[in-house]
Amino acid sequence: MNLCHWVVTASLLVQFSFSAISNAAEVGHLTFEDDVQPILRRHCYRCHGSKNQEASLQLNLRSAAMGLADSDEPIIVKHDADASLLILRTEGDAHGDQMPPDAAPLTKREISVLRLWVDQGAPWPNALAEPKHWAYQPITRPEISEGHSSKTAIDYFIARRLKQRGLAMAGSVDRARLIRRGSLALIGVPPTPAEVQRFVDDPSANAYEKVVDRLLESPRYGERWAVPWLDLARYADSNGFQADQIRDNWAYRDWVIRAINDGLPFDQFVVDQIAGDLRKNATVDQRIATGFHRMTTCNVEAGVHPEANRVNQVVDRVNTTATIFLGTTFECAQCHEHKYDPFTQEDYYGLFAYFNSTPLEVKNTSGVTWDFYGPTMELPRDEDAARRHRQLNEQLARLEGDRKEASQASDEEFDQWLSKLRESHEVAWKPLVPENFESSTGEEFTILDDGAVLLAGSVPDTVEHVFTFAYDQKITAVRLDVLTDDAIPGKGPGRGDSQRTNIILNEFTCQHLRGGKATKIKLQDAAADFSQSKWHVSGAIDGDRKSGWAIAPQFGKPHWASFVLAQPMKLEGDKDRLRITLSQFYGRGRVIGKPRISVYSGDTTFLNLDDSLRELAAKKKLNKADTAKLRKHFNKDNPRIRRLDRQLADIKKELQTSKPDTTLVMVEMDQPRETAVMIRGDYENLGQKVQPGTPAALPGLESIERTGDRLELAHWLTSPENPLLARVTVNRWWAEIFGTGLVSTLEDFGTQGEDPSHPELLDWLASELIESGWSRKHVHKLIVMSDAYRQSSRVTPELLEIDPTNRLISRGPRFRLAAELLRDNALAISGLLSDKMYGPPIMPYQPDNIWRSVGRNQPKWSAAQTEDRFRRGVYVVWKRAAPYPSFINFDAPDRGSCTVNRGRSNTPLQALTLLNDPAYAEMALGLADRILSDAPANDDASRLEYGMQLAVARRVSTYEISVLKDLLDREREMLKQNESMISGRTKVPFREMSLRFKDPAELAAWFAVANALLNLDETMSQ
Amino acid sequence: MSITPTSLGRRALLQQTGFGLGAFALSQLLQSESIAGSASSKGTLAARPPHFPAKAKSIIYLHMVGAPSHLDLYDLKPELQRRNGEPCPKELFESGKFAFVRDLPNLLGTSTDKKYQFTRSGQSGLPLSNLLPHLQGVADELTLIKSLHTDEFNHGPAQMFMLSGFGRFGRPSIGSWLNYGLGTENQDLPGFVVLITGNVLGAGSPAWGSGFLPSVYQGVEFRSQGDPVLFLSNPKGMVPKSRRAVIDTVNQLNREQLLDIGDPEIATRISQYELAYRMQTSVPELMDISAEPTSIHEMYGTKPGQTSFANNCLLARRLVERGVRFVQLFDQGWDAHGSVFNNIANKARQVDQPIAALIRDLRQRGLLDSTLVVWSAEFGRTPFAQGKNSEGNDTKAGRDHHKDAFTVWVAGGGTKGGMSYGSTDELGYTIAEKPVHVHDFNATLLHLMGINHERLTFRYQGRQYRLTDVEGHVVRDILA
Repeated sequence: MNLCHWVVTASLLVQFSFSAISNAAEVGHLTFEDDVQPILRRHCYRCHGSKNQEASLQLNLRSAAMGLADSDEPIIVKHDADASLLILRTEGDAHGDQMPPDAAPLTKREISVLRLWVDQGAPWPNALAEPKHWAYQPITRPEISEGHSSKTAIDYFIARRLKQRGLAMAGSVDRARLIRRGSLALIGVPPTPAEVQRFVDDPSANAYEKVVDRLLESPRYGERWAVPWLDLARYADSNGFQADQIRDNWAYRDWVIRAINDGLPFDQFVVDQIAGDLRKNATVDQRIATGFHRMTTCNVEAGVHPEANRVNQVVDRVNTTATIFLGTTFECAQCHEHKYDPFTQEDYYGLFAYFNSTPLEVKNTSGVTWDFYGPTMELPRDEDAARRHRQLNEQLARLEGDRKEASQASDEEFDQWLSKLRESHEVAWKPLVPENFESSTGEEFTILDDGAVLLAGSVPDTVEHVFTFAYDQKITAVRLDVLTDDAIPGKGPGRGDSQRTNIILNEFTCQHLRGGKATKIKLQDAAADFSQSKWHVSGAIDGDRKSGWAIAPQFGKPHWASFVLAQPMKLEGDKDRLRITLSQFYGRGRVIGKPRISVYSGDTTFLNLDDSLRELAAKKKLNKADTAKLRKHFNKDNPRIRRLDRQLADIKKELQTSKPDTTLVMVEMDQPRETAVMIRGDYENLGQKVQPGTPAALPGLESIERTGDRLELAHWLTSPENPLLARVTVNRWWAEIFGTGLVSTLEDFGTQGEDPSHPELLDWLASELIESGWSRKHVHKLIVMSDAYRQSSRVTPELLEIDPTNRLISRGPRFRLAAELLRDNALAISGLLSDKMYGPPIMPYQPDNIWRSVGRNQPKWSAAQTEDRFRRGVYVVWKRAAPYPSFINFDAPDRGSCTVNRGRSNTPLQALTLLNDPAYAEMALGLADRILSDAPANDDASRLEYGMQLAVARRVSTYEISVLKDLLDREREMLKQNESMISGRTKVPFREMSLRFKDPAELAAWFAVANALLNLDETMSQ
Repeated sequence: MSITPTSLGRRALLQQTGFGLGAFALSQLLQSESIAGSASSKGTLAARPPHFPAKAKSIIYLHMVGAPSHLDLYDLKPELQRRNGEPCPKELFESGKFAFVRDLPNLLGTSTDKKYQFTRSGQSGLPLSNLLPHLQGVADELTLIKSLHTDEFNHGPAQMFMLSGFGRFGRPSIGSWLNYGLGTENQDLPGFVVLITGNVLGAGSPAWGSGFLPSVYQGVEFRSQGDPVLFLSNPKGMVPKSRRAVIDTVNQLNREQLLDIGDPEIATRISQYELAYRMQTSVPELMDISAEPTSIHEMYGTKPGQTSFANNCLLARRLVERGVRFVQLFDQGWDAHGSVFNNIANKARQVDQPIAALIRDLRQRGLLDSTLVVWSAEFGRTPFAQGKNSEGNDTKAGRDHHKDAFTVWVAGGGTKGGMSYGSTDELGYTIAEKPVHVHDFNATLLHLMGINHERLTFRYQGRQYRLTDVEGHVVRDILA
């Protein structure tokens, strides 16, 4: 695919010769801090930094870097790049191995910067003479000097930086665009035309602030801001891996939405998620919040080793915690000392220890089957549901009492039953020799003396075997034997596959023939010596051609099935015939090789009684256990008990379906596990013991209450001494609103990350966050109220040259919406968006065959036929092995691990999605209907203007209207000649959905216009 | 109104004005980090030169999902056959990790039935099972690696490990690494295409995901049912003429917006809509194999319109012919915990002819030298018997997962062919000589594509990540 993004690639810049750079230097401001040190940090410090000094060289210390190398050659010769080892060794291998030896070489561009810097005299400010990583320093609230003209502190920092580069802020964006930008940023849905108009017409000085306050209080705010948090929390609705089954976590997702809407202070938001369960008198919400760390993937594949799975989960918890709350790549320290940042393996396992005392999350349920397991909690319910649940439980208790009573009562009946049993004999089945036998496929057969029929010849895929018997005795039950024989490949009983000699009997039919008339004989109480799982013998008399009786894997031995006649009957051998049909429809030759039919005429009470019971009954003296065993069997035949059992089953079923919803939570085991360093990260190779603790290089635990558990960790993370949490957090919010972070590596604030573009602004925002009582809404308001945010995003060629990626914030933000918000936006424009909140995940339209992985109990996709189909993306079910495809096409992650920064690609698959995805076709239909029904006037121009305003909010030019009108006219013309297309375009996706506008031909023409509106770059951008 | 540069316009501008743009050059220079940052957050599929010249330009990677029994196809062990039914040596059993078998099992030699015998094949005399008669015919193209070993012994994690070098989620798959490193030759098709027969493998779509790489590098599944690429066909009632009209309208309005706002991203959007329109015809053409001559259909055993491994092999050739960098086939159904001899015979019958046909077809078109064909799986199978299926019921003898030794092969693309590399012990249990770890294997595949695996890195979370983690040695003995 052609993804020729507008990006100036390295190869392009390589073309620049030195003259360009020198030329540039005259007008430029090359600084050590911004331009040179990042290069050294990126390429050199891991071997020549604080942690390692290969060849005794330390390039992050000015005195050392300005000194001599091992070879006594100078590393940096001021004003002479050609004599500096720093340049010579990175440029090529003419003066020794090219550096770095184990990674990609420096780009030409980077070498050019170093050269330029050395030739300028290698200026290296005193403040940076010694290494000190900015991100680990305490947050200091920067001073704002007097006498500036900026309206807000944010603007002060941004204007100052712009000024340094000879720039000023761009003008303000118009109000219509501003309210759209702010709405999409804060609540993820666009303003209605009425909201736009109200704002545009509002003369008050705080018109914009009123809008911002309204947005911050909207319930949509939490839904929009939950999305990036759920990426971090790797929230999904399935396990991941081979058995990617659905699990119930959605209460956690709802908690996130509520917590954001309710303005839960961010530090508490963190503590609840890490250790809500350990808080004093933990509330339901605080326990639900701990679902955060239950979001790890879980392998329940048959061969899983539970300890390996558990360790992987704890590792994921440690890494995720470090990434989200410390902006630190801790992962490296799992196996060895961190190469760049000041973290040791002991630090790693110190954090590991905090998470090491939760129970296993897989359980061996049978054989080699493992199931997802671990602590869950029941969610509180509304009063009606709770009352019904109580009622059912009361009924259950009463009926169980009745049953107990019933099973103890009727001693007399039991004695009668017992004596009957004692008198009964082993059932004497009488084999019948058929008068006639037919195979529907004409198999060869031989009727043997004992009545069995041996089949031979080519094996049919499917077949019916029809027996006809002349018999003149009473019949109470019939029996089918499927016998083995050496003449059958693999001995049988099936004849289709010598390895798997299965039979599948779909229907066993019994008919009474008299005078050319066949009457079906009703059968019941099917029993067999063995039935394959999911192929119980009762399936052979249920009238369903798909179900039936099978015997895998008990191949190579004979089996039997018996059936009781609902009414005993007597045949008259001279006029009556008994016809039995064995229907075997499965295919692939799962057919019987040697069937035999027998009948029985006695009492069927004890038809299939286990011999051991008869032996037991015959004992002279019964002990208590014997009586209990017999009693149990008797009870099965007692009508009163059978009735009670049926009622009990019904109640249990309702209880099952009305069970309270559950969610996954963390709990601590009574006995904490010991933690030890895992040598090279191998859980079976343990080193020294480690206590829970925080990384030594970061501020210590002195001011924290030492509980030694997750709560201690949570308090440490949120303590004022930890400089990282606030910085990392405001940076991510900035990136959500502006498109890029002040630190562009959102996921890494370590020495390998990028430096902040506006360090003072970052610290100012961080201190605002803390001083506001960790208020997310406060910081969001500060950002969107700034003039910087309200700039026009229009960019001139000149500006594009100086600030190509808007790192200087020389214009307003403009970027394509994230996957879920893109869909929300289109649904809102089309008027279909449902504002229903919370609850189990939903399924909108999705093409067939997306969910088709291997493994047990795979869920099926079934698109909602209600408003659920049009709810916000945050509620769409997230299956890790097959996430919602249109989200994936717009850079959504699979949520198998923590994602800090989604990409923002621009691909043809995205064009195809928005143009053709039937889900977006539904939205186009909705939009067409909305335009035709709601536009302020009924002429084309007014309607087109209304449609455009729904999509992009701003005022529309006559040229734009004319382009759309052109499409509309052409489509009307086209549809006149192809009326058959109208119904395809205007068919509603489900019956309950109705359209307001009743002229299908017009709707169909406007469908094309709506399709275009939903595909505009402006529509999909904020 | 001033004209805002489009992508092309801007490049032209740069070239025309040469080095006169001092301030601009410096700003570019100074912004280089962030430009790199934004470039890497989007990525580009433009073809890029390899680190060093290499013969292979594309890979067709055949992954047998569930893991075939290499002992019954490639690595015959007469001693194992001799000791069939004897208890597995205790020290061997206890040193390993197995998914299912917990109690000391019995050894299971390859069936001595005639159809399971091996034949020395080709000029090279490479011993191959008679279950693979067609592959025997191209034995001289194959390089067997009989000493592969991996770290994971469950399907999901092992699939991720084999394909991304990491047993959990989050890392890029090998196809996306190559897409990132080399780009692709045909800008009208994805650089990394996935074709699937049977259910999707246990690891799911992350097995062809791009992990932390920009998402443009991820594999795109071409489906055999429904739209070959999701959302390729127009909505109901929308004919190509209307589709064209809508795209024209969208692009006209987008151009207007570009003139007004100047965001270069809009220019990209315009070109992507044009490309999407072209894909609506080029992809169905590509997927339609009915125009292939009868001789080709006979050779592969393909039937147009069917979902089959054979069809996917033919599609793989058509994709590679069109310059797609990496084609990944997944074929489900090799996980024979029970009845391994039946399973392997059935599965081998399904794939033998099409794979051999693919190799011959690439050879006859002169494409085999530039195309590396890989046969692989997530692990191998045990030399001892497992007698239960996954529901715990007794079955005919099968084999459990075996991570410590298995066989894969490569063909074409600058490999020697007609040889095998490395060996297992007399029972096929452990590696006897020249072990090849998954990281070594992946390093070798990258090497064959002209990539130094230590230098194909992506910076994420402050670390230069590689496909091969911090390990991997190129297996030089198999290079032509």
